[in-house]
Amino acid sequence: MGTRNEKQKILIVDDSEMNRSILADMLGDEYEIVEAIDGAEAVARLNTDSTDISLMLLDIVMPNMDGFEVLAVMNKRNWIQDIPVIMISAENTSSYIEHAYELGVTDFISRPFDGQIVHRRVINTIMLYAKQKRLIELVSDQIYEKERSNNLMVSILSHIVEFRNGESGLHVLHINMMTEILLQTVMRKTDKYNLKRSDIPIISMASALHDIGKISIPGEILNKPGKLTKEEFDTMKTHTLIGAEMLDQLSYYKDEALVKTAYQICRWHHERYDGRGYPDGLAGEEIPIAAQIVALADVYDALTSKRVYKPAFSHEKAVEMITNGECGTFNPLLLECLLESADSIQEQLAVNSIKQESDRNIRNITEDLLHYEELSASERTLRLLEHERTKYQFFASLSSEIQFEYTREPSMLTLSEAGAKMLNAAEITMNPLEEEQIIGISDDKVMEEITKLVTGSSMESPVIQYDGELLVNGEWRWSRVICRSMWSHEEKPVMTGCIGKIVDMHEEHAKIKDLQRIASYDGLTGLLNQSNAKRHVMERLHENEDKDYILAIFDIDYFKNANDRCGHMFGDKVLQHMAGRLRGSTRDYDITARVGGDEFMIFMQDIEGIESIIDRVYHALTGKYEGFDISISMGISRTRKIGRKYENLFGCADKALYTAKQAGRAQYCFYDDSVKEILSVISSIDGEE
Amino acid sequence: MTIKECYEAIGGDYEAVYQRMMKKDSLIMKFTKKFLNDTSYKSLKDNLSGGNIEEAFRAAHTLKGVAQNLAFEKLYKPSSDLAEILRAGSTEGAGELMEIITKEYEKTIAAISELE
Repeated sequence: MGTRNEKQKILIVDDSEMNRSILADMLGDEYEIVEAIDGAEAVARLNTDSTDISLMLLDIVMPNMDGFEVLAVMNKRNWIQDIPVIMISAENTSSYIEHAYELGVTDFISRPFDGQIVHRRVINTIMLYAKQKRLIELVSDQIYEKERSNNLMVSILSHIVEFRNGESGLHVLHINMMTEILLQTVMRKTDKYNLKRSDIPIISMASALHDIGKISIPGEILNKPGKLTKEEFDTMKTHTLIGAEMLDQLSYYKDEALVKTAYQICRWHHERYDGRGYPDGLAGEEIPIAAQIVALADVYDALTSKRVYKPAFSHEKAVEMITNGECGTFNPLLLECLLESADSIQEQLAVNSIKQESDRNIRNITEDLLHYEELSASERTLRLLEHERTKYQFFASLSSEIQFEYTREPSMLTLSEAGAKMLNAAEITMNPLEEEQIIGISDDKVMEEITKLVTGSSMESPVIQYDGELLVNGEWRWSRVICRSMWSHEEKPVMTGCIGKIVDMHEEHAKIKDLQRIASYDGLTGLLNQSNAKRHVMERLHENEDKDYILAIFDIDYFKNANDRCGHMFGDKVLQHMAGRLRGSTRDYDITARVGGDEFMIFMQDIEGIESIIDRVYHALTGKYEGFDISISMGISRTRKIGRKYENLFGCADKALYTAKQAGRAQYCFYDDSVKEILSVISSIDGEE
Repeated sequence: MTIKECYEAIGGDYEAVYQRMMKKDSLIMKFTKKFLNDTSYKSLKDNLSGGNIEEAFRAAHTLKGVAQNLAFEKLYKPSSDLAEILRAGSTEGAGELMEIITKEYEKTIAAISELE
């Protein structure tokens, strides 16, 4: 336990500074004291970290959140199981006490405090809990320990055998790996052996014990360089039965899967599929699959390794000898598996090293860990959590993001330290939606929208995003709120709150606005372009249903000629000049746009005297520019005649413009019945000249 | 004035507090002096006259607790009584009790101020 040497922390929750101080003094220097001035602060502290508090002294009557409410939250969050609570109070009515015990308090201390009693009770309670915690820890550690020592024992045993055998020490490892590979291949190909994934580590671990019986074979036979005599070979053969018997005589563990499997392997790893092996002459599937696989692995490794009586054969040669039946008959399915996994066998056995073995161990341990996942709140998990928390806090402190967490019960908003400063709010706020400080950082709509989005999110898609203006560091900034709703782990999950962060995107937002503005204006003249003019006009029409408007379209007479004669640069200058004139002769509120090559649009309110306004605008747009005579033709449509549909207004102005051109240019023309029948050919008129 | 004399002057139970504070006069001294800065009396007075019964209750409750811890018996009794009245949401008799509390509080404060 990493915290064993540190002082244990006691959280004192009392609204009176005096009382906290007295208690702190009574507990002396043995503990680290953390204080909370009311229930809300206590819950907030536990919310930040509930794992490092060894005991809580809790007052009942407090503002904001009283002791019973704190207990209710602790129950809801399952904190009460890990943190013992001693209630301190002058209340000694039995209903109070009963209620407190129901809520899980461990003990009561009544006022006035007696130093001795406080001290004693705290020590007792902490000891009781620590003992319990340590027991849990001990049990879980023992489980890991057991697994580890199993591995270790098996490894030692098999190495003893090999040592006596004069083998390389790698034999066991090879068998181990190859058994694993073959097992996996068998499982992929067939399910007739009912193998489970969890069988793989057991069988491969047991495979290490296959030659354990050789311990009792005399050394001179084991290590005889030449061929064995028949008697010697008969003695040698007994290692199978001896090994099996050794395992069978284990009084305590013989029913364990590992030992049972090892028994099969020891006894039958020299049997052959055709019944011509030893010691029992089993045939076909009478031989347990574990023993069949180890037998094959054993033969392969014997062939590819150098022995006192033979050189090492190549992988190819070994496979060939096995498939030819030179080493006895094997299960055809296993031979298929051998051929299929030949590559990975060769690879893994070749680059064998200690490092690899430890990697394998790590993998095994990880698997074991997964296996024991039910020990969820073990010391290890806590340490991991602690690690994650430290990491999180570190990154949070580095970033200038505002991070927040909201829990529904109790309704509490926690802001990261930096975030609280930036928003000029407290790190912890109870009932934030009723708190001025929190409401003040945005307008009502923003909070409403975010709340709506979060409550509308689901467990499947818990992440929501909202862009809005927030008061950050005293300045309204465009910010992005990214937020994930959190859910309970019940059968029917309930939203418990949310976590999220607020990212400043003011600059980006300004850029986007800028781009939007650029996109809606004509680059040459700075007037609106056609599509945006249309949007503005339609909005204006929609928003002011009681008002009448006119829409005028005009173009520059013989503009094409000016372009052709003086070049496009000059043409552009003329257009810019016209835009300037247009701006100068209209009011800001009017909508002016360049809607095509030399075609412009004006949209303004149709008020009394509109005719003279148009006349004035018309004349302002006519005149000389750098020696070039400019005249325009203009067509005008009116909402009181045409109605309020943009397309109709534009179409009719277009037709009126055509009429003006037909009538000899340099004039303007209101759309009325007389121009109704004339077709618009506006775009081709200048081109025909 | 010694701490013992101080307790005699304000009618506190010195023996009791001595036992509870692990027989350390230094501790009693420390907390007695700390009482000068305790805000619960002021909070009680303000909230009571302001008609905020809930807050007044909490203040009375705290004052009672502190007085009890320090064995200021004369102060403990009326604050305890007042707390019970306020807890029930009533103010009946609160004025009289408040007068007694004020008298005892001032006497206590005066005595503590004279501690060496």
